[in-house]
Amino acid sequence: MEQMDRTQPKDSPRVPVGTMGDGGTTYSGVNPNAVWLNSRGIWLSYVIAVTILHLILLSIPFLNVAQAWTLTNVVHNIGNYIFLHMLKGTPWETNWDQGKSRLLTHWEQIDFGEQFTTTRKFLLLAPVILFILASFYTKYDPLHFVVNLSTMLLVLIPKLPQLHGVRIFGINKY
Amino acid sequence: MVSIRKGGRKSSEDYESTPFLAAWWTYLSLAILVAFGYLRDFLRRIGLDKNHSADGRKNMKEFVPVSFESFVDRNILKRVNHCVSRPISSPPTVEVDVLERTSDDGNWHFRLTGRKRRCINLASYNYLGFAENEGPCVDATAHALQLYGAGVCSTRHELGNYRIHEELERTTARFLGVDDAITFGMGFCTNSMNIPVLVGGKGCLILSDEKNHASIVLGARLSGSVIKVFKHNDIDDLEEKLREAIINGRPKTRWAWRKILIIVEGIYSMEGSIVKLLEVIRLKKKYGAYLYLDEAHSIGALGETGRGVTEHWGVDPRDVDIMMGTFTKSFGAAGGYIAGSKELINHLRAYSHSTLYACSMSAPVAQQIISSMKIIMGEDGTDKGKLRIARLATNTRYFRQRLREMGFIVCGDEDSPVVPLLVCVPAKILALVEDLFERNIACAPAVFPATPMTEGRIRMCISASHTRQMLDKVLDSISELGDRMQLKYSL
Repeated sequence: MEQMDRTQPKDSPRVPVGTMGDGGTTYSGVNPNAVWLNSRGIWLSYVIAVTILHLILLSIPFLNVAQAWTLTNVVHNIGNYIFLHMLKGTPWETNWDQGKSRLLTHWEQIDFGEQFTTTRKFLLLAPVILFILASFYTKYDPLHFVVNLSTMLLVLIPKLPQLHGVRIFGINKY
Repeated sequence: MVSIRKGGRKSSEDYESTPFLAAWWTYLSLAILVAFGYLRDFLRRIGLDKNHSADGRKNMKEFVPVSFESFVDRNILKRVNHCVSRPISSPPTVEVDVLERTSDDGNWHFRLTGRKRRCINLASYNYLGFAENEGPCVDATAHALQLYGAGVCSTRHELGNYRIHEELERTTARFLGVDDAITFGMGFCTNSMNIPVLVGGKGCLILSDEKNHASIVLGARLSGSVIKVFKHNDIDDLEEKLREAIINGRPKTRWAWRKILIIVEGIYSMEGSIVKLLEVIRLKKKYGAYLYLDEAHSIGALGETGRGVTEHWGVDPRDVDIMMGTFTKSFGAAGGYIAGSKELINHLRAYSHSTLYACSMSAPVAQQIISSMKIIMGEDGTDKGKLRIARLATNTRYFRQRLREMGFIVCGDEDSPVVPLLVCVPAKILALVEDLFERNIACAPAVFPATPMTEGRIRMCISASHTRQMLDKVLDSISELGDRMQLKYSL
């Protein structure tokens, strides 16, 4: 389990720079994946998106409130895991960094590998708050608790700074 | 943030941030595009969507899978593809003939329909209007073509040093008000081939603005020096980085830096902002660093007599150690120059990679630059140059002021002829460019990931040849479309 370097030095610019939209390549720039979660209004949009997901699940007639909350928690955590910890690299071409970000998951690319930034704290808090809400609305039922806790741990453990760049048993390495 | 400078010049380039609702629509648009992108990829994989261009090459099918890295290109940028790289069939003067194209497979391949559309040209860097194909410049160029031929067939060091190159360099030095200048055949290579020669070797530090052009970044990387990037036009950040660098010295050994070079541009082409040159020079003198000023867009376009950003701020050109610029924008030619003291230029003449290995500038192109420069300086005996510069300044100020009055968010300094209009939502950018094209106005879009996610924009370049009627027509169209698409974000 080896540690990986950061993709950019700490004092890099915070904004991507590039040519016009001709194939999305940016020559002189930095990885937009590192900074777009700091964009204006993205956190509120994230909260609104989760709320809309929850309202959709609540409106399905055969689910009761407890199941809807647990499902919201589970769907959110699975989405969080897939997009932040499973998909590696960037969906656009990165000619400038010689493939350094190709092996990094999105979580590892955020803020160029710097730990404990506010975006990372927000993304860490979101599953925790959902877990607390889900526990409350499921009235602390044991089965729901096990499901909610395991998905929350699935999402929280990869976010620990000790696990930056770590690939257990070589899963998802390349 | 507005600050008063000597001579009454203000730096007023901060623009309002994207309103929250526009940002939210941008995120929703991108989420929908991404969702449909995944859907289309899935349909292509199971064979329901038969677009074979997206599959990758036949002989590599089992070897190299279609990559995640081309996701944005396949699914988002191909939708905008018909608005970029449009072929033209006339010189890029104030009006340009754009060839119409259609696509049968969703913008993967185009074919020409045979029709042309004469559009008002807001996309070419034609600031002083020298891109025309008739007039005294073109006559002199044709004469030079007959005298010298088209090609030079050699490098400056060998047999490619013509009288016209020396005349061009003398004229450029006189134009800029410095001791000497050297010119190169290509603007990009002027930066990428010469920065390594100026700050090569160990112990050099380059402080580069975050929005510098790719040629500067390439030259800085090729030089092998340590590169630190400071926030765009942020003097406090630059000072902090300078102090940190000088106090801490070189990495590991902590020795003093041999050279510190600050690289900034005159006008930044995507932002339209003008560098705060007075402050940068103050910092440079205080800390003993050198200054490299890239005036690719600002030479000819700023200043009372078109001498660039140094005249705009009222700065002595000898305060800037290395003045670099290109002839592609305001002079209607090709190539670049570096100007400064005699020692600097002698060093470059001997050691520049471009003079050693690259062929020199073509003679008719050099003649075009000489003719246009003489017109700007007034040495041709008329005041045409002065009129062009004045018209560019009035056009710029009028256009930007009217856009601001209408309620759009316009980036950049109020004197900069590059006008980026903030249109955040990607679908609206596409719609705006398409609708403007329908009304015979051609301009260029820029979307994520080339710009920050909530700052998608269209970029318009004002020219001295634009008449008031053309600008009014453009402004009325933009206003009408802006009302329809609710783009007037400014509060």
